[in-house]
Amino acid sequence: MAFTITKACIACYACKEVCPSKAIISDDKQFSVIAHRCDECAKNVNGAQCAQICPVETAIVDANGCALNPPGSLTGLPQEANVIALS
Amino acid sequence: MTIQTLKPFDGNSPLSLKASEQAALVAKHPCFSKEGHQYARIHLPVAPACNIQCNYCNRKFDCSNETRPGVVSKLLSPAAAATRFVKVKQHVPETQVVGIAGPGDPLANPKATLASLKAIAKVDDDVHLCVSTNGLALVDQLDSLLAAGVKHLTITINCIDADIGQRIYPWVYFNQRRLRGREAAQTLIDRQLLGLEAAIKAGMLVKVNTVLIPGINDFHVESLAKELGRYGAFIHNIMPLISDPSHGTYFGLMGQREPSKEELNLAREQAGQSMQQMTHCQQCRADAVGKLGQDVDISQLESSITLPAPKTIQVAVASKSLSLIDQHFGHATQFLHYQVSADEIKQLDNFVWQQYCGGGQQCDESAAKDLSQLKHFDKILCSRIGFAPQQELSEFKVQVSTDYALRDVDLALKELQQGLRSQAETSNSPCSMGECS
Repeated sequence: MAFTITKACIACYACKEVCPSKAIISDDKQFSVIAHRCDECAKNVNGAQCAQICPVETAIVDANGCALNPPGSLTGLPQEANVIALS
Repeated sequence: MTIQTLKPFDGNSPLSLKASEQAALVAKHPCFSKEGHQYARIHLPVAPACNIQCNYCNRKFDCSNETRPGVVSKLLSPAAAATRFVKVKQHVPETQVVGIAGPGDPLANPKATLASLKAIAKVDDDVHLCVSTNGLALVDQLDSLLAAGVKHLTITINCIDADIGQRIYPWVYFNQRRLRGREAAQTLIDRQLLGLEAAIKAGMLVKVNTVLIPGINDFHVESLAKELGRYGAFIHNIMPLISDPSHGTYFGLMGQREPSKEELNLAREQAGQSMQQMTHCQQCRADAVGKLGQDVDISQLESSITLPAPKTIQVAVASKSLSLIDQHFGHATQFLHYQVSADEIKQLDNFVWQQYCGGGQQCDESAAKDLSQLKHFDKILCSRIGFAPQQELSEFKVQVSTDYALRDVDLALKELQQGLRSQAETSNSPCSMGECS
């Protein structure tokens, strides 16, 4: 029962600002979750706070390795490989 | 840019006093006045977190060759920010303005932002402090900003219509939830206008930034400016969208084009009917330094000037026997407190504190002890320490050392003192300023 921060993290500190359990620590570039402090915000009706504010898809995963913000969920960019951006 | 509404100063009416005060505030600010050009500004990158997402912003990349808002090369802690300001001031004495603009939203990082503002005000009480925000948390933070002495404020308001807003903001984090769609845009706009009104009422000079996005809000800037005029915003800065696909922003990748020079001028003309327009904005980075358009290379500056090394350090020692460094950090119920400088080692009163670890096999989940009580120490000497507290202490800039485990306390302190002495010698050498001519 704890989240993990992946390599997709851009070290923006937002999760650390809002984590109610003080479970997120950082040194310069590497952010990580202190497992025994993280209860995945189980009691919070608004859901996991880190996942609610994280701006990067796939940067936070749950105990099963599932991304809390899967690809396409935040940017709205089309995920299909056959879509080419006009330029 | 001159202020046409100034009344002749007669020294009696408080109104004219306020106006002349405002004029003085504006004249020296490069982001509020064209004549402010001769004054330099420094943006301190202390606020990385953001509470909203804009489609013209991508927080992933940082390239020092890019100049766009929202990019910095290196974040600073509040203390480092104050140090950088001091260095820059030595180098560029006309630095009159200190702004906090990101790279995220300053008010989504209230602790870092306010600590930085206070630290700057402490070293220079003459400096103009300003903050640039998206306005979402402005109402909550306004009092503390005023208390910190912030007189200039910039709010980025791109529209006051949620239908337009939902095409600019994919999500907004508010009251513990990520809002999306129209609800997100409406929440942001409501909060922006509340904040705008409160800031103006409180006597701040408020500039409003608007990013001009062709086909999305270009037809809307006229009514937006009208509304801003009604609220009493001081100046309006319409900036062209930057949508280079290589920046990886939603607009960039989706082919949203940038406005042409003509479109920008037209928008400024339309908005200019109700709001004084600013036309010299350079859309600088959140860590810009120097005069507009002639930024100073901060990395050169940082390496060229060294500040004198701190002369005394506060050391905490975890010791069971009171003579050897023989205690685990987690088991300490008190620390011996020493003040070490190049010339003396002074023992102060022991620092009593609640044991960090209950000694069980499993750490108690609720036991999130407050290590910030130890942050006035520079160094902690102990025999062992767990990874988590060591990490957390390093964030408070407290260095934990187990190098002296099971050794004599006095000897360890003497070694630390030796280190300080050799530091002092190097910093007193005539060439340490790096500016020998």
